[in-house]
Amino acid sequence: MSEPRVRLEGISHRFGSETVLRDVSLDIAPHELLTLLGPSGCGKTTLLRIVAGFERPTEGRVLIDGEDVTALPANRRPTNLVFQRPTLFPHLDVYSNVAFGLQVARVSRAEQRERVAEALALVRLEGYEKRRSHELSGGQMQRIALARALVKRPAVLLLDEPLSALDMKIRLEMEVELRRVHRETGATFVYVTHDQREAMALSDRLVVIDRGRVEQVGTPTDVYSCPASVFTAQFVGNANVLPVEVLEAGERDALLRLGSHTRRIEYRDSEPGPAWLVLRPEAVRVSGAAAGNGTAESLRGVVRDVAYRGTGFSYRIELSEFETHVKAETRAVAGHEVDQHVSVDWDADACWLLPRDEQETVPPAPTPDEAADEGPNRLKEETKG
Amino acid sequence: MTGTRRSPATGAFTIAGLVFLWAPLLLVALFSFHSTGSLTFPFEGFSTRWYDEVFSNEVISTAAKNSLIVATSTALITVLLGTLAAYGLTRTSSRLRGPLSLLFFLPITLPGLFIGIALLVAFSRVEWSLSLVTVTIAHLVYVFPFFFLVARAALERLDPALEETAADLGAGRWTVFRRVTLPQVWPVLVGAAGLAFALSFDEFVITFFVIGPDSTLPLYIWSGLRRTIDPSINAISTLLLAFTMLLFVVTFLLTTWGERRRRGRGLTEDPLVLTGPAEGTT
Repeated sequence: MSEPRVRLEGISHRFGSETVLRDVSLDIAPHELLTLLGPSGCGKTTLLRIVAGFERPTEGRVLIDGEDVTALPANRRPTNLVFQRPTLFPHLDVYSNVAFGLQVARVSRAEQRERVAEALALVRLEGYEKRRSHELSGGQMQRIALARALVKRPAVLLLDEPLSALDMKIRLEMEVELRRVHRETGATFVYVTHDQREAMALSDRLVVIDRGRVEQVGTPTDVYSCPASVFTAQFVGNANVLPVEVLEAGERDALLRLGSHTRRIEYRDSEPGPAWLVLRPEAVRVSGAAAGNGTAESLRGVVRDVAYRGTGFSYRIELSEFETHVKAETRAVAGHEVDQHVSVDWDADACWLLPRDEQETVPPAPTPDEAADEGPNRLKEETKG
Repeated sequence: MTGTRRSPATGAFTIAGLVFLWAPLLLVALFSFHSTGSLTFPFEGFSTRWYDEVFSNEVISTAAKNSLIVATSTALITVLLGTLAAYGLTRTSSRLRGPLSLLFFLPITLPGLFIGIALLVAFSRVEWSLSLVTVTIAHLVYVFPFFFLVARAALERLDPALEETAADLGAGRWTVFRRVTLPQVWPVLVGAAGLAFALSFDEFVITFFVIGPDSTLPLYIWSGLRRTIDPSINAISTLLLAFTMLLFVVTFLLTTWGERRRRGRGLTEDPLVLTGPAEGTT
């Protein structure tokens, strides 16, 4: 990587006695779209606000283009932030909103006009100059907010869950718009979200954050297929995590023991001993109990929940032998019913192993569904811990 | 349907209440136009002679001028100090925010008599001679909490993210205040300043203690009533009433207009309620 656009060095942050960030170091390359991904209260918004200059980190430094900006307030940093809610100034029309940052910087009127027109064209809202914020839809307001930030030509554009207040349909459209704007401007974007689907769809690189710590940094494909921790596996891929014992570690395969079952999987470089088996729901296969009777390798289970997804079914299956459930997604046309006994199998080439302590048999509690309890209030998120 | 029909007694009661409230005021206004000096019926014809008398009386015009000077100074100083106090308190995360805020508006509960005596004692302790200056200071003490409450409510209603946005776009503190905060609250502040003016203009009890040799309009009316029942008092009272009501109408219109203007999408709070302070003047 050449000179990073943003470098975070050992950032730690505390609100009172509560530690929200622990020793975060990160390089962000120019022109990159980087996403900070994590559940509510993991500290991702605080990290973004530290880059923007709204919070001063308790420890650590922020460098932008090699210059230490840790002590600079927000109004003197080459960063601009798009907030979670569209924060258009209600007493100003669209033109004055977008031109605000230029007027404050005493840019000439002619240049203001030119750059505002350019920014509005970029977000495809030409001709909206005279509108007021209450005459715009939520998606339009957020696009104006985006234009207002981009018109300043920031070294880094920061986006704090800018789509979370929008309907799903508009959200998907806005994702396409954001990717296009990112391509056309070549600007550096740092994007905060708790939505792993959105993060994967948008990012060049993901930074997975849990409880103030960076869990993993990598491309969406890396993070999805090779999660570095149980948390990442569950949060990003919604994966099943089962306790196994590696009995034989071969060069290209491994022999696993899962309860009373043994199973050979395709896997490089495993080590004998306790491990977590990470299984994507789409790699889990479900068949009727009778079919599974023949192979000793299959696990037995009972269907506890079925949901039709259009392309197939989602199941939640209670494994008889363990006190745990597995999630499965199949493409079958016909589904199994609730309370039906089934056998569970998985693709031998779709496994991932993570180290496990001997004593651990139940994976850390899976993160609750974020979308449900995510309010629009950022402050709430920060105090939740 | 009998469920929604009101008993005729309700209507009668409402009318009786309104008559009780307004009849004395209307009588004063009516007799201010009386052609004779009589303050009782029968009414013997219209004339503006009492108004002519009021406008040609120098003592009255001096008192009116004093009232205007005091009320204007009080309103201006209150706007400045009150806005600063309210802005500072709504934008701090300090633990003192609650207690300080309470200290600022608690004087609202003090009886005027108490404020008057306390200030008189204080002024004589520091040996300030009583004048319009002491009256203005006294009125500041009295009016400040009312203004502070209204200003604080308006500033608290603002979305702090708007100020952060402005700062993020490069605006310094003063620019943020001038270009984002003030444009959203000034109608309310002007309205509250009108309230401060009206409160000061009508004030009697506190003024009575700290006035010294000068006179204000309410004091003149009071002293006039003590000597004789002069019908020109009716004229002054009517003028005062009309002026105060006009001020309130303007204040109310400005406040509602400003509130409507400020309200964009995503800011759906209750409309600003001005009732508390408005009651204090009549």
